[in-house]
Amino acid sequence: MTWPESPLGGRLGDGRFAIATDRPETVDALRQAVVARVGEGLALYPQGGATALDYGGVPRAPGIALDTRSLNQVIDYPAADMTITVEAGITLGMLRSVLAAEKQRVQLDAPHPDRATLGGVFATNTRGPRSFGLGRPRDQVIGVSFVTSEGNLVKGGGRVVKNVAGYDFPRLLTGSMGTLGILTQLTLKVRPIPESSALVWVPFTSLDSAAPALDRLNISATRPVAVELLNRLGSRLAGEALGLPIEDWTLVAGFEDNTESVEWQVNRLMIELGRTNIVIREGTSSDPLWSALTELQAAEVGPLSFVANLRPSSVVSFVKEVDSSRWALQAHAGNGIVRGHATGTSELEGFAPDVARLRALAVRDGGNLILSRCPTEAKAELGVWGEPRADWNIAERIKKTLDPAGVLNPGRFVGTI
Amino acid sequence: MNQGGSGRVSGRVGGTEGGLLFYLSFDTDLQVGSENHTPMSVASTPSLSSRIVSELTAIVGAENVLHQRDELVVYECDGYVIEKSVPDVVVFPTSTEQVVGVVKLCERHQLPFVPRGAGTSLAGGTLAVGGGVMLCLTRMKRILEINTRDRYAIVEPGVVNLWLTRALAGTGFHYAPDPSSQSACTIGGNVATNSGGPHTLKYGVTVNHVRGVELVLPDGSVVQAGGVTEDNPGYDLAGLIVGHEGTFGVATKVTVGLTRDPEAGRTLLGVFESVDAATETVSGIIAAGIVPAALEMLDNLMIQAVEKAFHFGFPTEAGAVLIIEVDGLDAGLDREAQAIAEIVRTHGGSVSKSISWRTRKEPEYVAIWKSRKSAFGAIGRLSPTFCTQDGVVPRTKLPHILRHITRVGERHGLRIANVFHAGDGNIHPILLFDERDPDQVKRVLVASHEILEECIAVGGSVTGEHGIGVEKMEFMPQLFTPEDLATMVALRNMFNPTGRCSPDKMLPGGAGCIERKSPGHRASA
Repeated sequence: MTWPESPLGGRLGDGRFAIATDRPETVDALRQAVVARVGEGLALYPQGGATALDYGGVPRAPGIALDTRSLNQVIDYPAADMTITVEAGITLGMLRSVLAAEKQRVQLDAPHPDRATLGGVFATNTRGPRSFGLGRPRDQVIGVSFVTSEGNLVKGGGRVVKNVAGYDFPRLLTGSMGTLGILTQLTLKVRPIPESSALVWVPFTSLDSAAPALDRLNISATRPVAVELLNRLGSRLAGEALGLPIEDWTLVAGFEDNTESVEWQVNRLMIELGRTNIVIREGTSSDPLWSALTELQAAEVGPLSFVANLRPSSVVSFVKEVDSSRWALQAHAGNGIVRGHATGTSELEGFAPDVARLRALAVRDGGNLILSRCPTEAKAELGVWGEPRADWNIAERIKKTLDPAGVLNPGRFVGTI
Repeated sequence: MNQGGSGRVSGRVGGTEGGLLFYLSFDTDLQVGSENHTPMSVASTPSLSSRIVSELTAIVGAENVLHQRDELVVYECDGYVIEKSVPDVVVFPTSTEQVVGVVKLCERHQLPFVPRGAGTSLAGGTLAVGGGVMLCLTRMKRILEINTRDRYAIVEPGVVNLWLTRALAGTGFHYAPDPSSQSACTIGGNVATNSGGPHTLKYGVTVNHVRGVELVLPDGSVVQAGGVTEDNPGYDLAGLIVGHEGTFGVATKVTVGLTRDPEAGRTLLGVFESVDAATETVSGIIAAGIVPAALEMLDNLMIQAVEKAFHFGFPTEAGAVLIIEVDGLDAGLDREAQAIAEIVRTHGGSVSKSISWRTRKEPEYVAIWKSRKSAFGAIGRLSPTFCTQDGVVPRTKLPHILRHITRVGERHGLRIANVFHAGDGNIHPILLFDERDPDQVKRVLVASHEILEECIAVGGSVTGEHGIGVEKMEFMPQLFTPEDLATMVALRNMFNPTGRCSPDKMLPGGAGCIERKSPGHRASA
């Protein structure tokens, strides 16, 4: 089998084209497509809204795209139980509007919500600013169904909020990059939409003055749901269009709760930080900034983007080592996640040494540094998934167990997966 | 009830009378797809050879080995007393290296082995099925690191849940999962069963608070899954390992996330004439968009037991009480508490106590939770023996399942007390019986089945936090399809290819068992 040279069959990312795109409208049709295509010797590349097509390693074997967007039904929404069961092809935006009718929401932040599918958000473990206070995707899911490369429909978890029967497929599939199964259905915890929301934008002229504020926030009397740190380039990308003041560094704290609590927290934070030159975006006027902070991770301002995972206390020393004149930085500082976007030039050479140096720092801290965007030709050399981890050998064995033929998203994930 | 179910029930009764007879007579091969597993039996290994005992002694030291029959009997069961099986030897390793040594020895001699913490499992999760070596991890009890700036702690598996809470007192942080058995149960055991507790409604269960696990695999290799940082590249192995019930290996180190203490809270005691009114109130609170930190219910029988034991001041004539707790920032709590009180009154209840607290150490707060968390102990005043069940239903089905439990109790002439996590729909009916009366034992088992099957029928689960263990394996085919189970078995075989690590737990055996269908079977959708 050879790679098609024309994009007519669909795109797989990294400049690779699909032999065809299947768009099954039912789970049974999906299972049949899987069995048929694997029988033809083809690899399977599940897709949702195609918002992260270039994420991960380069597709290794010719195959077909499996477009899951027709699997987009709400299966069961017992609002009073605070759970919802939906098919994986529903977009995050559509899911939000279904929930909003009952004054509820799902605690997920992801860029391009009108295109991004729930299956894609979970397969890629996409998280945003609110994951500090509200949890990551792994904390929202209580049940999954997926189709294996052998065409079996498998489920784990269930539809009730507490359930310890069987192995935890919801966690295993979250962040598995479509390499273990094709997500068809998810059951999520939902929560009431909070009465009030506020973002506090605190500019700093230096990192040294911002650092104590971060330490302070960790033990603040307030309970922020988001703690973000931006450098000047990051601040500009997130805040300039919204008329926010741009300094060398910005700390953004987000609060969500009932009205009394949010008001108290905003006031309290000003006292704790001893600052008055801050900007507060409250209520619906906070929406565009929440959105900008979420979209920032998908910024395409240069050839390369990284995500480092660190201990939160190491964020400041880490970003100090990054050249802020060339990298736009956004840290979910409370979680130790630092996102960097190379800016200004399409030349890769200048940035590659930074990757190696910063990755070593992250690894020394017990974390890692992956490349969320990288030119296809540089992926193998720069290593998109970071420094290999010892537990990848278990990951490879799990992959062999669930996808013995190795046909699901080959080449995309860690190690030989 | 279907045929297979009845077989298990009578087998269980036999098991209580004749030790392992039940397992010896139950000829199923647990290892679907595995060739070389033979179910172990005590009859074939009446005791381990003295050579093996001396090898184990060389690994862990003489003071950390038990092998005399009278010493071993203590370990014949855990909190699930209906089945018993005496291990051939119990070792108390004190380090990961020792666990590796013991596991490798078991591999060499083809011995079954089972990890155990405090033995508080209510589903037989630590039962030494087939005898063999029990690794009791209670001497690996160090808290290795507490880092509040980065919000994690690293502990050995034998650390008791409450010790960590105590070690964190005053730091402004806590470890959120707080099972009712927290004064005894270990973090390792919590990881094995993905334990919950009263505060999971708002804060989540164990898996939401575990970042990393060091796991000794049955072949003796050591895996570091996850770590102190979030989102390490690769599969979420720590997430997969939590809830493995000891079937993947032996957890020797756990990295847990820490949570900020709430600034304040309000804990209300709602009093109701009937269980129905109380459960309707639960739905009312959730429907009002309030997410309490805890929402616990006690029915009349339970109130009486608890009041006799602790004299907290529960109204003994009430049909049910609800402990309703909201926490967070003081500024927002009064309005939430008022809204809850209003919902209680709307459903015909009254608020008999309202505790406004700043720390979880205030005497009245401590007293109410002591009463709740010690409820199982108080049951001893009502009955010599009891069986605590663990089922889950969608929250809105609570009134239905409680009416069902009442009917089941009446039908079988059993007293059933209820104390449970109402906000999660996680019921804990406590069936009272006298284990000396085989007929009562039989009725308890049948009644338990009828309750759990109804949980499945309304879309719930047969376990919210205690695990499948040996107790509930037969329900797995009702919750999961053959494809689901085959996938789980394949994963288990990957970690545990010989099946000697925690044999005959969690996943049911033979194809006949998997194929059977019950009226409560739900499609996967």
